[in-house]
Parts: sequence; structure tokens; C-alpha cells
Amino acid sequence: MVPPVQVSPLIKLGRYSALVLGMAYGAKRYSYLKPRAEEQRRVAAEEKKRQDELKRIERELAEAQDDSILK
Amino acid sequence: MGRGSCGGSFGRGVTFSRPAGRRTFQPTAMAQFVRNLAQRAPELVNAAVTYSKPRLATFWHYAKVELVPPSPAEIPTAIQSLKNIIRSAKTGAFKHLTVKEAMLNGLVATEVWMWFYIGEIIGKRGIVGYNV
Repeated sequence: MVPPVQVSPLIKLGRYSALVLGMAYGAKRYSYLKPRAEEQRRVAAEEKKRQDELKRIERELAEAQDDSILK
Repeated sequence: MGRGSCGGSFGRGVTFSRPAGRRTFQPTAMAQFVRNLAQRAPELVNAAVTYSKPRLATFWHYAKVELVPPSPAEIPTAIQSLKNIIRSAKTGAFKHLTVKEAMLNGLVATEVWMWFYIGEIIGKRGIVGYNV
């Protein structure tokens, strides 16, 4: 077996500080994006509800106008 | 052997062969398979452990030396190496590196930078994308 390589301390320091920085960055960005995504979902749901309501009204209107004795 | 068992390793011989006229799994076949799996779980686990033990030992043998975080005593050495690099950048001594050395340095730098992304994966608790 090849003997293990002695890694330079700079590289070790660099690796582990990059790891810690990455964890911090990931956690921060997650907590930043989470409320925004919830807000977007809420807005989208509201919009969808409104559109569904409009479509329903339109559909019922169309049905009502469609009703005639000349069916 | 027609609808016979495939090697008898599934106990009662009920296998995944489709009975003529039926196109789906019978529920009892699935239950039998799960029961067999639960019965043979200890030997499967044993097999997995026996396989992984020597490989884990090799991994540990190398990781103990190569992947260990820097001890506080090593930090001054690291800072000194960093100063050397900055000095070589200032004086232009880096131009005297061979292409091979430069490429190796580039690879090492890339590897160090990839640890940042691994840290980000850990921080955002998801592998691809932020699961918000």
C-alpha cells in the first residue's frame, strides 16, 4: 500500500475553512430563500383561486346564455 | 421449469413469474418476499459488514493522515505558506513554475474550492437545489 501523503497545512486549512464557509453560506441562503418561496406560493395560490372563481363565473354565465328553447 | 421457482431462494417457490391469465403481482408473493428478506436480514447484514470492513480499514488508514483537520500548531505554517504564495505573486516568481506544477496547483485549488460546495450542500440540507 502506498504510504499516506503528508498534506500541507495550508491545504488542510483551506479545505476546512472552505467547508465551514460553505455550510454557513448554504444555511444563510436557505433561510433567506425560504420565506420568499412561501410568499410566492401564497401569492400563486391566491391568484389561482381568483382565476378559478372568474372562470367559474364565466362558465356559469355561458351556460345560462346557452339555455334556450332552440337547443 | 415453467412456473417453478428460480433457484428456490424465495422459499415456497412462489416467484415473480406471472401466472397465466393474470397480469399483476399477487399480494401474497410480495408478502412472502418481504418475509424472506426479514428472515435473511442478519446474514445480509453480516455479508455487508464483512465486505466493507477491510475497505473501511484502508479508508481510515489514509483518512487519518490526509483528511484530518489542521491542528492549531500547524496554522502558523499554513499562514507562512500563504505569505510565500503572495510574495511569489508580487515578485512574479510564479512565472518560473513549470506548466506541470501550475496544473497540479490548479487541481489542488479546485479540490479545495469543491469543499466549499460540499459545505453548501450540508448547509442547505439538500443535494440539488434549495428545497424551500
